[in-house]
Amino acid sequence: MDDLSRRTAMKVGGATLGTAAFARALAPLTEWTEDISMEGFLQKHYKELDRAEMEQVLRRLEDETYAEHGVEVSISDPRPTPGVSFGYALNLSICVGCRKCAEACHVENNHDRATNNSYIRVLEMKKGSIDMELGRVDYDHPVPDDTRFYMPVQCHQCDNAPCVKVCPVEATWKEADGIVVVDYNWCIGCRYCEAACPYHARRFNWEKPEIPAEEINPDQGYLSNRIRPQGVMEKCTFCLHRTRNGRLPACLEACPTGARVFGDLNDPASEIRWVLENKRVFVLKEDVGTRPRFFYFFDE
Amino acid sequence: MMMLLLLAACDTGFADPSRALGEPVPDGPRHPTEIHRPTTLGVVDTPLADVHGTPIGVACVTCHGPDPATAWASRDGEAFHTGVALKHGTLTCASCHDPEERTQLRLANATQLELPDAMTLCAQCHGPQFRDYTRGSHGGMTGYWDTRRGPRERNNCVDCHAAHAPAYAKVLPVFPPADRRPLEHADAPATSSVDAPAAPSIDAAPAAHQD
Amino acid sequence: MSNPSSEPPPVEIPGAHPIRTYPQFLWKAVGVATDGNFAFYAWMTALTAVFLVGVHAFARQTAHGLALTALSDHVSWGMYIGNFTFAVGLAAGAVMMVIPAYLYRDHDMHDVVIVGEILAISAIVVSLAFVNVDLGRLDRAWHLMPVIGRFNWPMSMLTWDVVVLSGYLAINLHVVGYLLYTRFRGATPNPKWYVPFVFLSIVWAVSIHTVTAFLYSGLGGRPFWNTAILAPRFIASAFVTGPAFIVLALQVVRRLTDFHVGDKPIATLVSVLRVTVLLNLFLVGAEVFTELYAGTAHSASARYLYFGLHGHNALVPWIWSAIALNVTAAALFLSSSTRTHLWRIDLACVLTMAGVWIEKGIGLIVPGFVPSTLHELVEYLPNALEWKVTLGIWALGLLVFTVGLKLAVAVFTGRMRADTAAQGSR
Repeated sequence: MDDLSRRTAMKVGGATLGTAAFARALAPLTEWTEDISMEGFLQKHYKELDRAEMEQVLRRLEDETYAEHGVEVSISDPRPTPGVSFGYALNLSICVGCRKCAEACHVENNHDRATNNSYIRVLEMKKGSIDMELGRVDYDHPVPDDTRFYMPVQCHQCDNAPCVKVCPVEATWKEADGIVVVDYNWCIGCRYCEAACPYHARRFNWEKPEIPAEEINPDQGYLSNRIRPQGVMEKCTFCLHRTRNGRLPACLEACPTGARVFGDLNDPASEIRWVLENKRVFVLKEDVGTRPRFFYFFDE
Repeated sequence: MMMLLLLAACDTGFADPSRALGEPVPDGPRHPTEIHRPTTLGVVDTPLADVHGTPIGVACVTCHGPDPATAWASRDGEAFHTGVALKHGTLTCASCHDPEERTQLRLANATQLELPDAMTLCAQCHGPQFRDYTRGSHGGMTGYWDTRRGPRERNNCVDCHAAHAPAYAKVLPVFPPADRRPLEHADAPATSSVDAPAAPSIDAAPAAHQD
Repeated sequence: MSNPSSEPPPVEIPGAHPIRTYPQFLWKAVGVATDGNFAFYAWMTALTAVFLVGVHAFARQTAHGLALTALSDHVSWGMYIGNFTFAVGLAAGAVMMVIPAYLYRDHDMHDVVIVGEILAISAIVVSLAFVNVDLGRLDRAWHLMPVIGRFNWPMSMLTWDVVVLSGYLAINLHVVGYLLYTRFRGATPNPKWYVPFVFLSIVWAVSIHTVTAFLYSGLGGRPFWNTAILAPRFIASAFVTGPAFIVLALQVVRRLTDFHVGDKPIATLVSVLRVTVLLNLFLVGAEVFTELYAGTAHSASARYLYFGLHGHNALVPWIWSAIALNVTAAALFLSSSTRTHLWRIDLACVLTMAGVWIEKGIGLIVPGFVPSTLHELVEYLPNALEWKVTLGIWALGLLVFTVGLKLAVAVFTGRMRADTAAQGSR
């Protein structure tokens, strides 16, 4: 009997110690939970919010941005314009590889500064081949090198998007104007979409993005360039906070040579339609069946 | 089947269907597209040099501005313009400039043209480029893709192509990638799959890359 | 061969009510799970310590982000998903005891089949833990739940995985729980209540690993994974690791407990292993040939894995170790008799588990990302934090497995039984 109670006492002691050690081991989580508001935790999926709720969410996010960065930003939720279907084409004959598009993307979309994050990667490719294994992204010599051509790659907004297909929680979907978006407040960060994308178009927020307050672009969209939370996916949205209001995407405006052509595929008079109908156009990795809305072409 | 499923997944499922789409844009008058008027058409190197030995250039408009009062149609024209490095195919001065009245450009059909209207002159020979330009697939622009909603600004040919040496000037690329590569040292340069191409010298004769 | 004395004949204990006795079962289970000799306490303490190290590493990772891992946008899955894949295989492979026991009515196997089912439960716990530590937003895991979240079923293979893994866990929990609890009450298990689930678990075991293979093989943008042979390879290697683990576990049980384990189940499992270990090597060989002989651009990942690409060769020593381990194991399995050289069989089990762990863990997940879809070569090897989390999760799995085995042994040997009505549960 005595032995039994001693054994029980030891067990209780062990359990107490174990629990204390467990709590101790989990201590770093307290810092993390402070970052998560109850409203944020319980926020519904983007498509389940009605107008009033969406409005509340936008104001809350603006307040959170102010609290964290001390910057007043305006977060809007522009919706697709009826009848508009976006397309983008890139003229490989005149792209000089200056990477100004990638830089403009970085600035416009409030990307993390330390990692030079951008939705655009520019490949320097050997003329005579479109084998990307012969390409590189970290060239640092004056461009254009006459033996090379330059191929910027960004989200192709595929009509048969593998990333949308694989998302287990419908945190990413295709909108009526063809843009594939992510609800940063619904994504669970499993990165299945990043594995599925054949174009390296998706980025993960490995940690909280850091941007100096004075560099924050205050013109923000809920589904596009608002400052992303840690642990979620993000991607090019054709700058929907601009393009859904009729403006050109930031990467196009930054392009010094005019290699980029953007517009409404449904408008027969648009520049993008002229390119598709008159140039030698191809899409990247057509064999994977993604049906991109991002096209490449050469001048004759 | 897959496509149907995916289509069905698009833009449905909005609890509030009014949120699915935005407002339609009414058809109406288009905003203008404005093409830059060149303020400097080009630079002529003078025989003078600065302390670094770099030739001092004089902008064309210094003499050939639109204001006749400052026009300086001097007799020493030939000598002064020897500094113009003409690297524009087999063209000569008179291919573009009116030999009688050098403040003016001259089209092939002998029509005179003001210097800031140079694009029309360029278009005589560079038809495909001009066509691409008018179709929006050549030459930088800013503003609105939807001109129902706002204006657009466009570059002029000479914004990028100096009339006397039109090959697009080489530039150093900006914004090198610095993404996470945890296996490599943070300060080491990013590596890539293939041997680095030998960096071409800037002085290399500009090839007809843009043609 | 089977020793009936190891299982007391079930005699219904008077007063052991099918439902009201359950709290007593749980209470006694806690007692059994925490009682043991010095070696047991040492083992459990060591596992708990490793587990807590993992918990702490995971807490840090959650707070600061997955930036603390060696993952990147180029290689966005690594150690965790590799171990997830391996653990699912272990869970599926556990069914290799169930098939002989129930399909072929192997009575010796029938006596010890519970070990396989407990392994299935533990391995599923491990695999679910690995998926969860890989999430960027664990706080939003509820989005994955049908009805309250938004479940992208049937489009997303990951939702299928959620369904089949939780289903497999539920089936095995039911079978194990039912068998143990009925015996605890001294009743005879009613086949109606568990045999259908056992058969279901056989089909289900194949499904969990098939779906897990489809997670990868369904991605057209990753040619290294986009191959129909992936699911068969997964099943083949699962039927290596599952039996190999059980062979080792059975030997531990028979040395350390009074639970009777005959030689025959081990012999049966080894004869299964002799086939599956070769089948696995054959499928790997078929894959390697197809990748390398044609020499298409799609073989870049395979070339990277086996030979290195453009001076990048972080995985080359790993994969050749895996091949060496599996070939040696195959040779040992084929050349050793369970009767005379059991230690060689044990060694072979350890070697092949390590080999498959590399082959379908790091060796399968990472090359899918190298070179990246834009053919950039960014390499990956797990860092210290990922190792800590990984070892912590395996420690958790071993804790679950140990407790499960301990309960099973206690119930099967009759040491843990319901009290009679007089001492009543209430």
